[in-house]
Amino acid sequence: MTIQPDSLAGTASATGVHGFEVFSNEAVADGVWRMRCHTPVASLIAPGQFVNVAVPGDSAHILRIPLSFSVAQATSQTLELVYAVVGEGTRRLSCMRVGDTSTMVGPCGNGWALPTHEGRALLVAGGVGLPPIVACARMLAEASVGFDVIVGAQTSAKHVEYLLDELRRLAPDEGCDCARKVLVCTDDGTLGTRGFTTDVMADLIADRPYAQAYTCGPTPMMAGVARLCAKRDIACQASLERMMGCGFGACSCCNVALVAGGYALCCKDGPVFDAREVVW
Amino acid sequence: MSKDAGPRMAVNLGGITMRNPVNTASGTFGNGEQFEGFYDVGSTLGAITCKGVSAIPWEGNPAPRLAELGGAAILNSVGLQNPGVAGFVGRYGEYLQGLRRKGCAVICQVAGHSLEEYARAMELFEELAPFASGFEINISCPNIAAGGAAMGATPAAAAEVMRTVRPLTTRPIVVKMAPHDVAEIGRALEAEGADALSLINTIPGMSIDVRTRRSRVCRPTAGVSGPAIHAIAVRMVWECARAVKVPICGIGGITCGEDAAEMILAGATAISVGTANLVDPACAARVVEELEQWACDQGVTDINELIGAFEC
Repeated sequence: MTIQPDSLAGTASATGVHGFEVFSNEAVADGVWRMRCHTPVASLIAPGQFVNVAVPGDSAHILRIPLSFSVAQATSQTLELVYAVVGEGTRRLSCMRVGDTSTMVGPCGNGWALPTHEGRALLVAGGVGLPPIVACARMLAEASVGFDVIVGAQTSAKHVEYLLDELRRLAPDEGCDCARKVLVCTDDGTLGTRGFTTDVMADLIADRPYAQAYTCGPTPMMAGVARLCAKRDIACQASLERMMGCGFGACSCCNVALVAGGYALCCKDGPVFDAREVVW
Repeated sequence: MSKDAGPRMAVNLGGITMRNPVNTASGTFGNGEQFEGFYDVGSTLGAITCKGVSAIPWEGNPAPRLAELGGAAILNSVGLQNPGVAGFVGRYGEYLQGLRRKGCAVICQVAGHSLEEYARAMELFEELAPFASGFEINISCPNIAAGGAAMGATPAAAAEVMRTVRPLTTRPIVVKMAPHDVAEIGRALEAEGADALSLINTIPGMSIDVRTRRSRVCRPTAGVSGPAIHAIAVRMVWECARAVKVPICGIGGITCGEDAAEMILAGATAISVGTANLVDPACAARVVEELEQWACDQGVTDINELIGAFEC
């Protein structure tokens, strides 16, 4: 399947600059934070799209921070962002307090597309790639598409457990023949089985047929998922991450090398790509 | 002028008529279309300068192309990724024609690795781009292996590029200059028929990841831009303006009307908003308003009265 922008759920709303107000911002694990905010973007954004957030109070760091979301509630205009504190920008973001306001550019990019063929979907998330996979799971559940989820992490962490609860809630039909599975693995075995998501995936796809895979996480993991999917002829959408300038296709800084030659832009053509079109 | 009208804001950048002095720096504004969700580009800006385009498509540099430097600056090495003149005109021609109809000037930027490539791109633009109000010749890109900044490194080299492209169009030619020897190179370009000069391009810089000992972008050196370079850019505009008679478009770290006003006082006829477009997509529209307010506060009836009005 070639992902055409017109076929994607996430292209309906034009990108704009919107205000947001923080109503909670807390650490949910070592180095991982969850921010909930009120913003009109919540009613515009589709699963897999992202926002580019301005953190106030530091004129030395000028770029916005691109973040994917796990939950968007249109009625209450609330957006939930789970992010790892990895640099100065995300450190400052973690310092935003209840009532603080700023702006975000969004919705940005093209999000997850529903499967174009009948059949079950497989979601594979690694580490901080988990939030957009949660948004994907909700999209599939609402569309009554059957799916299983594999979640990998380095070690047991509260943010993984917290989002796992959300995934299990979205996969309530355990016990029946077509039970949805939420499988967890960690590098050190402290949660779920010990091993890599691709090991778990290899066993699972030998057992069950899948029409579509969705993946987000570290690049080596997504490359492994893409390889397994290619072998079994399973369509695969991957959400990529890049250092970004603008977030809406103006600066050409977030290039993604394509198998067909040349580059696409992660912010405008992605962040969700057909895994077969990307050079891993 | 009616009694309610503010100061006259129109300027003339070497034959390119602009409704106000605000332009956009090439490479930071896509080709305008990407900003339509933020404001009506054609009805707001004096001009836009499109992304650099070569005769045939260029892939640009591999990832990573961008690093945040932390001192109000970023480092980029995009390398002029572009679809070639024919691809550019096919994709954006109609949109850019629409900008012209709304009264916004369209400046097409010409890129090349060699004199022959500049000439070929110029010929193609002349043939395929009737919507271009004028052209900007990029002899200062720090991010390509051949051509680019090397073509504008000395007065003699810059003059040779100008001699090559000047006979190929009767439309205005602006030359985008590198941040060095601006008085000397500016004079050489003026002597060869440049209608205007734009400066500065990004300042060559480096950023090394000390853990991996590698560059934080795809090439060892790249271009520094952002508010950090503003004072340097103002100084260079001032130096260049004192050396030449042709008008100047001042570029470098502009984020607000006050920054733009500094450039005008230093001698710029027009200004371009660059990196700030990425951070605050409506920045250039805000600069238009703030610049008009400044002219009003200065009590002039025409912004042209303030060009080079710096008192030293």
